[in-house]
Amino acid sequence: METINRPQKRRSRIFSAEARVAYICLIPAFLGLVFLTYLPLVGVLGISLTNWTGLKNPEFIGFDNYVKLFTTDPYIKDSIIATIYFAILSVIGSMIYSLFIALLLNRKIPARGFFRAVFYVPYVLPAAAIYVGWSWLYEGNFGFFNYLLSELGLKKILFIADSSYVVPSLSLISVWLAGNLIVIFLAGLQNVPVVYHEAAEMDGANGWQRFRHITIPCMTPIIFYNLLMSLIANLQVVTPALSLTNGGPGNSSRFMTYLMYDQAFVNYKLGYACATTFIIFAILAAFTAILFKTSNKWIYNEGGDDK
Amino acid sequence: MKTGRKLGVGLVSAALVMSVVGCGNNGNNGNNETNTASPGTDATKAPATSSSKAEKVKIIYSMWGSAEEGNTTQSVADKFNASQDRIQVEVQAIPWESYMTKLNTLATADQLPDTGMLKEDGVIQWSSQGMLNDVSSMYEGSDSKPLDSLAYKYEGKTVAYAAANEILLLYYNKDMFDKANVPYPPSSLDKAWTWDEFVETAKKLTNDKKGKHPGDDGFDSQSIVQYGASVENLPWQLETWTLSNGGGFYANDGTEVRVGEDASIEAIQKVADLYLKDHVAPLSVGQTDDGIQRTIIAGTVAMATNGAWNVGTSLNTAKEAGLNYGVAVLPYMKDKVTLNTGGANVVFSQSKHPEEAMEWLKWYNSEENNWALISSGIWMPTLEKWYKDETLTHKWLENPNFPPYEEYKSAVVDYAQSSAARPASWFYTNNTTEFNTLLGSVLGDVWTGKTTAKDAISKNLDALKAAHTGNQ
Repeated sequence: METINRPQKRRSRIFSAEARVAYICLIPAFLGLVFLTYLPLVGVLGISLTNWTGLKNPEFIGFDNYVKLFTTDPYIKDSIIATIYFAILSVIGSMIYSLFIALLLNRKIPARGFFRAVFYVPYVLPAAAIYVGWSWLYEGNFGFFNYLLSELGLKKILFIADSSYVVPSLSLISVWLAGNLIVIFLAGLQNVPVVYHEAAEMDGANGWQRFRHITIPCMTPIIFYNLLMSLIANLQVVTPALSLTNGGPGNSSRFMTYLMYDQAFVNYKLGYACATTFIIFAILAAFTAILFKTSNKWIYNEGGDDK
Repeated sequence: MKTGRKLGVGLVSAALVMSVVGCGNNGNNGNNETNTASPGTDATKAPATSSSKAEKVKIIYSMWGSAEEGNTTQSVADKFNASQDRIQVEVQAIPWESYMTKLNTLATADQLPDTGMLKEDGVIQWSSQGMLNDVSSMYEGSDSKPLDSLAYKYEGKTVAYAAANEILLLYYNKDMFDKANVPYPPSSLDKAWTWDEFVETAKKLTNDKKGKHPGDDGFDSQSIVQYGASVENLPWQLETWTLSNGGGFYANDGTEVRVGEDASIEAIQKVADLYLKDHVAPLSVGQTDDGIQRTIIAGTVAMATNGAWNVGTSLNTAKEAGLNYGVAVLPYMKDKVTLNTGGANVVFSQSKHPEEAMEWLKWYNSEENNWALISSGIWMPTLEKWYKDETLTHKWLENPNFPPYEEYKSAVVDYAQSSAARPASWFYTNNTTEFNTLLGSVLGDVWTGKTTAKDAISKNLDALKAAHTGNQ
């Protein structure tokens, strides 16, 4: 009898000891989440229902801020469009670019380590320096790109000074900055089992077929991760607007986070800015939810469906 | 479980301790204030001639700048502290980027300093919320007052004086003028160029790759290598041209929006046409505040308008590197106009010692105390005497940081006290930040010619008016 019971008892004891350690280890993270994320989030919701400016005591004004945002605000509509436009261009661009570069860097090319560093470097450079550098390339009168264009006898392009070119121009910078995606893709590529490739090669599959039917399916979890991270990062874009365009020309690069920054820390309409924050949050949540909903349709899991 | 709970309690208390410490640091001045506001000193608040034994009243003065700049100002304040036995000034330096945010936070916590600097566009807003004291009495009985155009007025009361004076000027590259054999722009107001003269001169100074000027046969606007002129189109500076053309951004009392009037729209379109039609100006979309660097210092433009501070902030260094520049008065459309501006020194209404705060400000604002900023050309003095008394003007300008005396005296000093100098709208109008931001966004496609100033402004006039009332 005892011999049967003992292991069970021990297991539960082990379990509870493990649980204890687990809970202890979770406390800091849990406290952080509650006090630095969830409570402030509730606070933001609360403030968004007031007219707080930081100077006078806030008054409760119900949903007035939200009503104003959707009816009379001169920026929000352009801002949402600009943000989504930028995010889509940047995400698609940087996914294709970084996967392509990762595939090249995964081959046995000379000086591979050097090239891996070259493509990763932009990601670790200070943002302000990067944008100053690109502003010289993009400058509308004497910038480097326009110098090339005029040498070729072509008409100048105004890049970030032109409301129809500014978002694609900024997206290009963000694609160029995607060094972190390359690294993650590289790690993923090295995990694609060589045996599959060898087997397919024996069956006479060419390079493209192997890429399409082996590399891509094996990479789908990594692709999903990169897609999600890059989407969230790009929907929260603010640096190019802060350092290069100040939201212009017009509202063409007045990204939502920049708009919120402007409301909160330039105009000190804190209640209003909190309402904007909630709209950003809703948009982010919607995009993330769509991505997760569709994910099980195209993600290949080696361990089978995990439901 | 026991260990877990203990650890949890430990963490929570650690967090609490940290937050308390954090608050303590931020609330430094609050603590100081309660220290000084002990009953004894409170009683001596008014004309404190009696009770010389009483503790000194402690005043906190906040300024934007690095800790180092703070130390420099503190050493100036120490002179003041040593010069009398009633007031002790402590300087609090806050970095420029977070200055207004920090003040807002302090205001919320009821822990504002007694006095401090305030950004131009914040003064009327803070007044309208009752955060600033009336300082009209500050210069009563003084031998020299600040220039009239440097008083911030809210509902008829003076709520602040500018800490420095600045006006808008025309800078030009002398070498480019010499090379093209074109006379320099006038430095005296009565000889100011009309807009058309300005554009004609700019054409002579604009060259394409083959050396042709706008209007010449075969001139190629796509291959311009040197531009004749650049008029700064940051929204707040555009007000100059609308005023000069008989319009304006607002009515004189700041209550009504006038930017939709034909004269105002025409003025803005003329500025845009320098690039679009006259082909004398480089494209600028009026979003970044580096106009002089992009034009005069980059060596690509012969004339450019901007504020007087550029002499000290950037042109001095460029001069050492060989730039030969001059200063002139702005051209005009109908009326001769330049704008005065300057960040404010205010007394916060939360202060328990407004009299002492004003006394310090008055002492501090006498120009000798800001000599480093003034002699380098970043600030211009605010007190009238520096403009009227020629010996003082000589003292101010005769150093290698400035262009030749006669030129600067006429184009800047005399210009600044002439009838052409008008206060920028934030001296009397609320919500200028919101208005200017919206105007800048409305005009975005005007500079590139995708739309006209008329269409852009008419379409958004209601929004501009709403921004002006703060109900955007």
